[in-house]
Amino acid sequence: MARDFAVRRRIETLARSIPGRFTSTLHSEKVAARLGVWLGIGFTVAFVTGLFSHFMQHPPAWAAWPSGPVDLYRVTQGLHVIGGLATIPLLFAKLWTVYPKLWQWPPFRSLSHAVERALVLVLVGGALFQAITGLLNISYAYLWPFSFTAAHYWTAYLLYGALVIHVVNEWAKVRRALWTKERVEPPHEVTARRRFLGTVAAASGLTVLFTVGETVAPLSRLAVLAPRNPRIGPQGLPVNKSAAAAGVTTVIRDPGYRLTVTGAVRTPLSLTYADLLRLPQHTVRLPISCVEGWSVEAEWSGIRLRDLAEMAGVAPDAVLTVESLEKGGSYRSSEVRPPHWNDPLTLLALRVGGAPLAPDHGFPVRLIAPNRPGVLQTKWVSKVVAA
Amino acid sequence: MTIPRLLGYGLGGGLIATGFAGLIADARHTDPLGWALWFGGVIAAHDAVLVPLVLLTGVAVGRLRRPSPVRAGLTIAALLSFVALPMVAGIGRRADNPSLLPLDYGRNLLVVLSLIALGTALTAIAGRLRARRRRC
Repeated sequence: MARDFAVRRRIETLARSIPGRFTSTLHSEKVAARLGVWLGIGFTVAFVTGLFSHFMQHPPAWAAWPSGPVDLYRVTQGLHVIGGLATIPLLFAKLWTVYPKLWQWPPFRSLSHAVERALVLVLVGGALFQAITGLLNISYAYLWPFSFTAAHYWTAYLLYGALVIHVVNEWAKVRRALWTKERVEPPHEVTARRRFLGTVAAASGLTVLFTVGETVAPLSRLAVLAPRNPRIGPQGLPVNKSAAAAGVTTVIRDPGYRLTVTGAVRTPLSLTYADLLRLPQHTVRLPISCVEGWSVEAEWSGIRLRDLAEMAGVAPDAVLTVESLEKGGSYRSSEVRPPHWNDPLTLLALRVGGAPLAPDHGFPVRLIAPNRPGVLQTKWVSKVVAA
Repeated sequence: MTIPRLLGYGLGGGLIATGFAGLIADARHTDPLGWALWFGGVIAAHDAVLVPLVLLTGVAVGRLRRPSPVRAGLTIAALLSFVALPMVAGIGRRADNPSLLPLDYGRNLLVVLSLIALGTALTAIAGRLRARRRRC
């Protein structure tokens, strides 16, 4: 009994002594508050742009996304991914700064303290989960049993909710740390803090410098650590799903190919590839803006979707569904709502950069529309259905 | 409790409830057990493996006579390596699509790390020169 008690006392003494062993002055409120503000901005940008992307891909029935500005989705998704990468150094720095608090003793002082710590667990877990799954997803390493999009989407709510509560709880400390002039702060502490924050900011900045070229073309030569280079791929453009992966390599070469326009139409259409080439051709410069953050602009030529709808006698408020020759896959068809298909920039493209589309870019015909996620720019199109 | 505080708790709590409800309702896609393993796994890996390694490295670097440039260089190198790791590992490469992970990321990371090492060395030398001049 007495021995048990002594052992317990020693363990407790040891546990109490742990936080005091972190002697660096950088484990401070002043450092945590600054990193916290930077991270708060980063997470807010990621949450807002992430929701934007989600609802662009899964629009509620009442929503009508505008087809412009042309580059809107390109910018928001670039911010989501490159901004997300930039927050990774901030996140690790912040967690290192507050790490001694993990070992606070007693672990729970009261019920409300226990709830607060549970919410911090959700915050930390959510932040690490989002950062790491996001990073692995853009490098195509799907090392999990869940659907990335579903898990990343729902975890975002957990993370942001826990962040809001954390900000409410810590706001007084942030104000004290950032806006109160301290009378005596040892100069070496100020130097150490500036040096640390400068180091973290440099790591974050270099992360951006070495990746942002996958969406900002003039910097593409610097994108040495980015998973994509906007100039590498068939016809100088990256590809997400190849014709082989989609299982369409033979069916796209079928001489019996027809593009049909059916559904709620006055005159159903059935056009061969040669018929399509005889229709008025238009050329537009539009980006492919991938949900994974890379984007690249190209010169596409083909038929305006609007002209085709007019030929078939589609009502101007109809919703068009563009279907691929691909047999399965979650992106084999996509919906084009009136603001997009009435836009003269929206094409069923036959050529890119002056040459017929490569199989991986959607030969014979692909959809290309402004302000639209790349996964919805359906390739290998064989059918347009009006509703 | 003030009204802004209550509003904040309400909003935060609502978002958390939405997240958990979604994870459970969409179980076919979110695989709640797999999700929970990942969620707990990243916390455990961070708190029990990554940070202790960083702390040990920090202690070792702290024994140097002038630790700051080395500390800064190692911090930046480690953080950039973390971000580059999945690219270097090349798990996502696919034979049918050479535009995925098209670069030699191992070589690129080495170049980046060499630049960081160079910057660190120059900073350390500059610091030493400044200290010597002060002594004269």
